[in-house]
Amino acid sequence: MRQLLTKMHAVARLTLRQVRHERGRTVFVVLSIALAVLAVTLLASVGLGVLQTGEERFDRAGQDVWITADGVELTETGGIENPITDSHRLAADLERRDDVKTASPLAFHGVYVGTGPDDLELVTGLGVPNTHGDLSLESGDGFSEGDSHYANGTYDGPMSHEILIDPQTADRFDVDVGDTLYVGASRSSATEREFEVVGISDAYSQFLGTSTVTMPLSELQTVTGTTGTDRATYVTVTTAADADRAAVSDALQQSYPEYDVRTSEEQFKSLLSEYLLVLASGATLVVLALIAGIALTVNTLVLMAIQQRKELAALRAIGLSRGFLAGIVGGQGLILGLIGGLLGLLATPAFAFGLDHVAARVVGFEGLLRTPPEVYVGGLVIAVGIGTLGAIVAGWRVARDARVDTLHV
Amino acid sequence: MARNSSPTENERSRVRPISGGADRTMEPSSVAVGCERVTHEYGTGSTVSRTVTALRDVSFEVATGEVVGLVGPSGSGKSTALHIIGGLLEPNNGTVDVLGTDLTALSGAKRTRLRRDHIGFVFQQFHLLPALSARDNVALPLIERGVSRRERQRRAAELLEQVGLDDRMDHLPSELSGGEQQRVAIARALVADPEVVLADEPTGELDTGTGARVLELLVDVADERTVLIATHDERAMAVTDRVLRLLDGEMRQAGQFSDEQ
Repeated sequence: MRQLLTKMHAVARLTLRQVRHERGRTVFVVLSIALAVLAVTLLASVGLGVLQTGEERFDRAGQDVWITADGVELTETGGIENPITDSHRLAADLERRDDVKTASPLAFHGVYVGTGPDDLELVTGLGVPNTHGDLSLESGDGFSEGDSHYANGTYDGPMSHEILIDPQTADRFDVDVGDTLYVGASRSSATEREFEVVGISDAYSQFLGTSTVTMPLSELQTVTGTTGTDRATYVTVTTAADADRAAVSDALQQSYPEYDVRTSEEQFKSLLSEYLLVLASGATLVVLALIAGIALTVNTLVLMAIQQRKELAALRAIGLSRGFLAGIVGGQGLILGLIGGLLGLLATPAFAFGLDHVAARVVGFEGLLRTPPEVYVGGLVIAVGIGTLGAIVAGWRVARDARVDTLHV
Repeated sequence: MARNSSPTENERSRVRPISGGADRTMEPSSVAVGCERVTHEYGTGSTVSRTVTALRDVSFEVATGEVVGLVGPSGSGKSTALHIIGGLLEPNNGTVDVLGTDLTALSGAKRTRLRRDHIGFVFQQFHLLPALSARDNVALPLIERGVSRRERQRRAAELLEQVGLDDRMDHLPSELSGGEQQRVAIARALVADPEVVLADEPTGELDTGTGARVLELLVDVADERTVLIATHDERAMAVTDRVLRLLDGEMRQAGQFSDEQ
C-alpha cells in the first residue's frame, strides 16, 4: 500500500512537471478545453434561458387556457396562418360559461411597417381585443379606447389608427410616441394606412421573441383583409377564480372538439415541440463543441506521446511499467481538463452577461442566457470528462507505443 | 588503458545497495551473460519487404565483472545483440542466459522485472525526459521499486556526484551538454544498482574527447559490474577487458584486449 502511494505520488509529481515544462502546449490545450466548456455552458444557458423566459412570459400573460386549431403555420410572408374563424363569436360563447372569466381572440399576421415607401419592413403584427390590460409601457399611454372598429362584427366602427411598438422597432425606424408609421399587408397597401405610435413596450416582443407591432384585433383584420372570416390564431381564456385550469381545459375540449384546447403549460410545451429543429441544432452545436474539445485534447496528448515515444520506450527499457508511463501522460489529460474547465467556467458569467446584453440590444430578448448552478456543474463534468477521455486515449497510446523494441532502429 | 585492477573496498562502498533495491538472492554465476547460437531476423519496413538477418549463430559468454566491447561497423548487429541480452528483443533462435536466467523462457513482464532489478541501460541518444531535472531523471528507475522520494533523491544525488555532476543536479537536460547528458544517463543506468550494464553506442553523439572521458567514467563508476559496450568506436578497446567483433551479424573475432594490439 505504501509503495502504491509512493508511486502515485511520483506519477502526480512527474505529471505536474510535464504540464509546467510544456507551457506552450499546456496553454494551447487549456484554452481549447476552456473554449469547449464555454461553448457548452453558453449554449446550455441560452437553452435554459429560452425555456425559463418562455415559461415566465406564459405565466405573465396571465392566460390559463389556450385554444387554437391545427395548422398554425408560418406563411410565406413570415406571418402565421390564423386557423380560427369567427373568433369574436367563439370568445363571446366562451365568456358565457361559468368556469370562464374572460376570453380574448389574438391574431398574428406579417405586416409591412415603415415611415415611407422605401423603408418598409416585414414585422409581426399582433391583434389584441379591447385593451392591453395591465401591459407595462416604457413610454406613451397606450390605446385610448377599446376595439370600437369591430362594431359587433360589422367592422364599420371608427378605426383608432393606434399602434404599440417595441423598442427595437422604435429604434429601427427612429420613431417615438406621437410619430406615425405606415402599416399594411403588402408593400403597396402599406402606405395607404397611417398609424400613430401610442406606446412603446417590449412585452409582446419579449413574449414572441421577435419585433412586434400591436394594434386592435379588428384593425389588424381590416389591414390584412381577414374581416370576412374574423380569423384569429388563438383564443386565450382566463378561468373563473375557483376553477381548476386543467379541468376547464378538459371541459372546453369536450365542448369544442374541433379545436385544440391546452393549458398554458401544455401550450408552452406544444410551442417548444414546433421548434424541434432549432432545439436539435442547439444540441448539435453542444455536441460539436464537445467533440472539438475532446479531439483537440486527445490529439495534443497523443502527439506528445508520439514525440516522446523513444524517451518513454527508454523508460520502459529501464524497468518502468506501461501503467506508470500511461499514468504520467494520462494524468496530464486530467490536469489540463480541470484547469481548462475551471477557466471556461470562470469565463462563463462574463460571456453570458455580454451575450445577454448583445441579444437584448439586437433582438430585444432580455434574459436570454440563464446560468444556474447546474450549468456550472455540467461544465465542470464536461471538462473532467474531456480530460479523462484524453487521458485514457493518450495513456492507451503510450501503453501501446512505448515499446522497448522501438529503441532498436 | 585496459581495465585490469580490482576496485578497493573504499571505491566499492561508493555504490551501495539501496534498501528495497535489487534482488541479490539470485544464484551466483561466474558467467553473467551467455549467448548460444543466437539468430535474429527482422523484416524491413520498406516498400519491398525483405528479411534481414541481424545476427547469425552468435555465441559468446561474458564473465561476472568483465567489461566487454561489442565492436563492429554500423549494421553489424552489435546493437541487436545488446538489445537481445537486455530483453528488449527476442531472438528467433538460440538461448540467452543473463545472471543464470534463460531470457527466452521469460514472459514480457518477467523480462521487464529482470531489467528493472538487474540490468542498467545507457543509450546513444540519452533518452532523458526533457521536463525533469538531472536528479529526477536519474531517480526514475527507483520509482517502480517503491523507494521513497527522499531516498530516491539521495541516491540520485550520490550517483550524479560520482559522475561529476554534483553542481548540475537541478538542471534540465536542455541545459546540459551532450557529454553531461550522457553522464546523467550513466547515473540513471546505475542508480538501481544493477549487476549488468548495457551501453549502446554511448559515445555516438559525443565528440572524440568527451566520448573517451564518458567511456572511462562508465567503466569507472560501473565498478565490479558486468559491462557490455556496443560501439563502432575503436577507442572502446582502451577501456574494456575484451573485445567481441561482429561483422554482418556474425562473430568474427574474440579475444583479450592484448590480442587486439
